[in-house]
Amino acid sequence: MKRFPFLVLALCALLVSSAHAQIASHVIRAKIAGIDVIAYPTGVQDVVTIHGSLPAGDAFAGEGNIAIPTLVGMMLDKGTTTEDKFAITEKLERVGATISFDVGTEMLAVSAKCLKKDAPLVIGLIAEQLRTPAFSAEEFDKVKKQFVGGLRRQLESTDFRASDAFTRAVYPVGHPNRQPAPEELIAAAESAKLDEAKAFHAKYYGPAHFTLVVVGDLDVPQIQSDIGKTFAGWTGGADVIHPAKATMSDAPKDQNVFMADKTSVTVILGQATGLRYSDPDTQALRMGTAILGSGFTGRLMANVRDKEGLTYGIGSTVARDTFSDGDWHITATFAPTLLEKGIESTRRELKKWYENGVTDDELERHKGDVVGTFKVGLATTDGMAGALLGAIQRGYDVTWLDEYPKKIESLSTGDVNAAIKKYLRPDSMFLIKAGSIPGAK
Amino acid sequence: MKSKSLFALSLFAFIAFNLTAAESSPAAPVKADGFSFVKTVGVISEYTLDSNGLDVLLMPEHSSPTLTLMVTYHVGSRNEVTGTTGATHLLEHLMFKGSPNYNDAKGNSVKQYLESIGGQYNATTWLDRTNYYATIGSEHLEGYMAIEADRMRNLWLREQDRRPEMTVVRNEYERGENSPFQALIKEIFAAAYIAHPYHHPTIGWHSDFERVPISKLREFYDTFYWPNNATVSVIGDFEPAHALALIKKYYGAYPKSPAPIPELYTVEPEQSGPRHVTVKRAGQLGVVAVGHKIPAATNPDFATVQILSAILTDGKNSRLYKALTDKNLTVDVQAFLGQNHDPSMHIIFAPLAPGVAHEQVEKIIYDEIEKLKKDGVTAAEVEAAAAKILADAAFQRDGSFAIAGNLNEDIAAGDWTLYYGIEEATRKVTPADVQRVANKYLGVDQSTAGWFIPIVPDAHAAAK
Repeated sequence: MKRFPFLVLALCALLVSSAHAQIASHVIRAKIAGIDVIAYPTGVQDVVTIHGSLPAGDAFAGEGNIAIPTLVGMMLDKGTTTEDKFAITEKLERVGATISFDVGTEMLAVSAKCLKKDAPLVIGLIAEQLRTPAFSAEEFDKVKKQFVGGLRRQLESTDFRASDAFTRAVYPVGHPNRQPAPEELIAAAESAKLDEAKAFHAKYYGPAHFTLVVVGDLDVPQIQSDIGKTFAGWTGGADVIHPAKATMSDAPKDQNVFMADKTSVTVILGQATGLRYSDPDTQALRMGTAILGSGFTGRLMANVRDKEGLTYGIGSTVARDTFSDGDWHITATFAPTLLEKGIESTRRELKKWYENGVTDDELERHKGDVVGTFKVGLATTDGMAGALLGAIQRGYDVTWLDEYPKKIESLSTGDVNAAIKKYLRPDSMFLIKAGSIPGAK
Repeated sequence: MKSKSLFALSLFAFIAFNLTAAESSPAAPVKADGFSFVKTVGVISEYTLDSNGLDVLLMPEHSSPTLTLMVTYHVGSRNEVTGTTGATHLLEHLMFKGSPNYNDAKGNSVKQYLESIGGQYNATTWLDRTNYYATIGSEHLEGYMAIEADRMRNLWLREQDRRPEMTVVRNEYERGENSPFQALIKEIFAAAYIAHPYHHPTIGWHSDFERVPISKLREFYDTFYWPNNATVSVIGDFEPAHALALIKKYYGAYPKSPAPIPELYTVEPEQSGPRHVTVKRAGQLGVVAVGHKIPAATNPDFATVQILSAILTDGKNSRLYKALTDKNLTVDVQAFLGQNHDPSMHIIFAPLAPGVAHEQVEKIIYDEIEKLKKDGVTAAEVEAAAAKILADAAFQRDGSFAIAGNLNEDIAAGDWTLYYGIEEATRKVTPADVQRVANKYLGVDQSTAGWFIPIVPDAHAAAK
């Protein structure tokens, strides 16, 4: 450790002289063909990682068929108007590149990875798949069946069932974070029409709010040129939905999702917060939440797991707050025979944390953890691309990545404890249990 | 505490400058007192600590001011016997319970230290090895190494820690049992291996990990946790001479094991007929799995087996995707490919689409395998599979953590140079190789298939 003091001094000086310009100064951001393109070259050799998103997630189903946004996303890699899916796959496989699409609550996410020389090919295929999916009737029929099969497979997971039920407990009807009941989704997929999919694609797919982040071993002018050419003439697109804040749901506070033959029960205890990520108190609440339930030294793991041996995993988090007000919850798993004891210990730690707050020492240690984890996370192209896209999705500029550590450092114990008290109500939280719950059916 | 926070902040500021300037470079071996240089392959150099036989791998890579320190112990569930199954894994958990020097009460346990600096850390146990690792800011190398080296020989291993940790492991086991895939793979391995310890799951049999006494765990620790049974890897932003000096300082404190590390000599007898297992539980959809024994990772055929697996199961152009998923008979097709020290397994998993019969899918899998054995594969199929494997290898060098994860499996397989060697071998695979290897390893009489049969009393109710 003796060799580092000079480095520390040098870096502190660097920080002062280059304030607000560390990561942001290396970002090359431009509007190209209507798309917000963010390029970030790194020292990695030969690898190019692409992350992007456009607002066409499940929330955009509106009053229409609730399965359509996901079905449209699933159709993107099933062929285009010029090539079938096998031809596209062959082009990608020949160079070992990958492209995937995933539909979330608000966004269609695009992810790709390739070698530097293949970036033009991959960008071209992303454009082709987003702009001109084939929408063949035969493929649509297959996709509907895969959707239903995939959902039935998820229904075997206690984690999925608990999380799914939790969203319907804490979010009111019409809130984007509220998941439809599985049987409604299955019925919707089975009755979905190809014309509905085509109409959805025409209405929501476009460059207007499309962000594309490219990180790695980059030839930036070439990438910008490729994006300009392949997306030229594309129009349309919708803005993200920013709903009114959720009112308290009147769903039952204690809900069981019984699943036979499960040896471990998943438990979720939590509530809606009314907070978005960009709200002023969010970082304080997130820091307090990390002290309660992040890592092995968080209070929940240290006590409920390490001291009492009641669970393999327990943690607390603030979630689903990127685009709208989100929720706060604890997740844990317990053997059916230890379920009540586990919940009792969890509530005890929650109560103690809520009533007494966090300590100065805990806050200092977790500041080091949060900032250090952030730094380590940026060391890969995936981590950097995800962080850049996340900043944009949360409504910030890329300079936020430089400001984030300072925001964390500026938090006081008073900020954290006030946010916990202001936004959380342990006595009225929802408790969801999924699995072979003793005494339930 | 104030200075620690500032330190973290200032290092964060350093990232952007280093990212654009750094690159990998061939690692020139360094001369370090107390070490013997073994070899350099690619950008990895190997050394041995002369005093105790500790194996050291160094891979400097300066694309960000972070590094991964990992210690791989050459002990896994293959070193267990009836009564102590799961001991390797339970011991891995107990390695976080502290020593007289580093513990929670002192506020300097491995968990407390790594979480105070934002380290991404954990430990894993598998058939052939146990590894402990952290990805950290480069400046924390010594701090973490001091704690990691300490627990090699100074672990407390107390009954008061075993009791609550056993129930933690039990819940880990219970969570695994919730998954049809995990339940099935456990049964398939247990049926496929009769004599060899790959027969039992790494997490152990329920009764063993519940009852194994602390004295047995101590015996296990005192048998296998020695420098001459470990490999320390440092990957990322560091200077080799400095890293070696630290390794000597902290790991050089220990002697070699007092007794030779026990060798496993059990060889699985040749399988002379197909085997079949069934798991029936509440669930939604069935699963068909078809497994075959494959050679050890160090076998020259292993690269070809990887290509064969990709041709059968990887991507929309794979044979089983076209034969099953594209025909709506399955919702997916995937393969488990065991890259292990001893002959392991290749298992095809085909989760069924609603209403599809197990028999139909299993027959198609066997038919496709037979077709491939009889007619061979095309050059285009081999090229595509090789391209995917080689590109993925490049992608897996994106960050020290990913590199460490792959290197760990090569170390465990018995030859870390496989990190490069399998890529070289992959480039040379021909269609004739694939057909030969398919005929050699994918025999029906050497297969072990499994069905997960869901019990759905009322499908409609189950979906609610």
